[in-house]
Amino acid sequence: MLELRSLARHFGGVRAVDGLNLTVQDGQIFGLIGPNGSGKSTTVNVIAGLLPPTAGTILFRGEDIGPLPTHRRLRAGIARTFQNIRLFGQLSVWQNLWVAQNSAEDLARRGFFTRWLGGQSGVRDEIARLLEFSGLAHKQNELAANLAFGEQRRLELARALAARPKLLLLDEPAAGMNSEEVGQLRERILSLRGSGVTILLVEHVMELVMGVTDRIAVLNFGQKIAEGTPAEIQAHPAVRKAYLGGEAA
Amino acid sequence: MDDFALGVLTNIGLFSFLALSAYLLLVAGEMSFGQQAFFGIGAYAGGMLTALYGWPLPLAALAAMALGGLAQLLVGLPTLRLRGLTFAMATLAAAEMFRILFELFHWRVERGGELAGPDGTQGFRGIRWIFEHGIEPADYLLLVYALLAAVLALLLWMERSRLGAALRGVGLDPELAASVGIDVRRVKLGVAAAAGALAALGGVLFAHHNTYVEPRNFDIMLGVHSLAYALIGGLGTALGPLLGVALDIGLLESTQYFHGYRMIVFGGLVAVLLVFRPRGLLDERMVTWIRQRFS
Repeated sequence: MLELRSLARHFGGVRAVDGLNLTVQDGQIFGLIGPNGSGKSTTVNVIAGLLPPTAGTILFRGEDIGPLPTHRRLRAGIARTFQNIRLFGQLSVWQNLWVAQNSAEDLARRGFFTRWLGGQSGVRDEIARLLEFSGLAHKQNELAANLAFGEQRRLELARALAARPKLLLLDEPAAGMNSEEVGQLRERILSLRGSGVTILLVEHVMELVMGVTDRIAVLNFGQKIAEGTPAEIQAHPAVRKAYLGGEAA
Repeated sequence: MDDFALGVLTNIGLFSFLALSAYLLLVAGEMSFGQQAFFGIGAYAGGMLTALYGWPLPLAALAAMALGGLAQLLVGLPTLRLRGLTFAMATLAAAEMFRILFELFHWRVERGGELAGPDGTQGFRGIRWIFEHGIEPADYLLLVYALLAAVLALLLWMERSRLGAALRGVGLDPELAASVGIDVRRVKLGVAAAAGALAALGGVLFAHHNTYVEPRNFDIMLGVHSLAYALIGGLGTALGPLLGVALDIGLLESTQYFHGYRMIVFGGLVAVLLVFRPRGLLDERMVTWIRQRFS
């Protein structure tokens, strides 16, 4: 599904991502963890097209997507959420989902004018389903800016799903959540398993990462220091060292 | 209705086109100080086509709109890559360039034994199509408002479409818009063309109302006002800029009470609103509130 080859992104002299090799298989929920500043969010931004890579290749379903601008990557099937919630605050919840329906399927199914100027009838069911999934049906006419924090997080996830992604990039979706909300998020992510979507999950909250992922890669200083199943990672000495500092226990 | 009231109402209608043009760009996240240039292009092009070449006004208006749209599209191609203040400066520079081109523009053609047409700083007189066709000022007022109503209906319909939501999204957070699959550049260029055409339509109507235009009609103050109309009235709905025009021309410019203090009150109003209601009186919050009340 996704393959990063010697991916690098430098900011001046800072090597945020430095020669990263990573392969995510179809249908996997793949965790990307690491201490603060280890290059996780930068990796997501480079894959989504918000930052150009300094070097290296990004293969998505076997094709080099390096030259594709951001909006074309979404149409190719890569959708994302943001570490700091980003929504169109002055649009309603419903509209936030509506404008995000730009998948290749949607493009093929409806013509240009129907898509942009046509009515809401053809998309109602789909959006109702997303609202149901995220528990926001009762807030559909509310401006996104007026939602509570947890609701905004849920809307972001629903918005990413509105693009019918093949690859979903979740950038710290549990940041700022209490443990009850993390539990709900975990159920939502697990419910996506088997629906054909592959997930790259960047996260600090270990109870979430360890509970939902098939495989985990650990970054430190922009490089991969370990990769394996959640159980292998928990036992890995280099990981403990990166997180706890000093010598491995 | 007396002539003064007719004149005020017609002016409100005419400048509404310009305000809507600035509004469209503001909604897409771009602050243009240069919409007066496309208003001017419309005025000159439309006036020349009717006065010099005998085109009927509707055809001349369509051609002027196409030209205005094309002109802003061409200005937009390089400048829409710029962000924020840089874009504002670039539009201002482009508009001043057009104003100077109007000053240098001489296109004298013989019409009925006399030379007519744009004559540089001397202006362009004799745009008399509506008088030659016996259209009374009151009828012209109706024509202006009928066109304005049509444009407004079109914009309100567009704003409720997915395109409208995408346009607002591009203005609110272009990076996020790209991340949800919207081609930001294409949307902005489309908006630029529409804004140019809309300003040009206002310009055509302005030229035929006044029968005379000169380069200084299209100076920077006109652009600043049209921008302020949208900012005062609000970015939540296309009705916003109309409220701004009505407040300024209807209340400040035309009533005895504010006479002479117009610019002070107007400037103060802009400053206060930018602090307390950065997206104007009829902003998205207000529009949503009203919609929930009345639906």
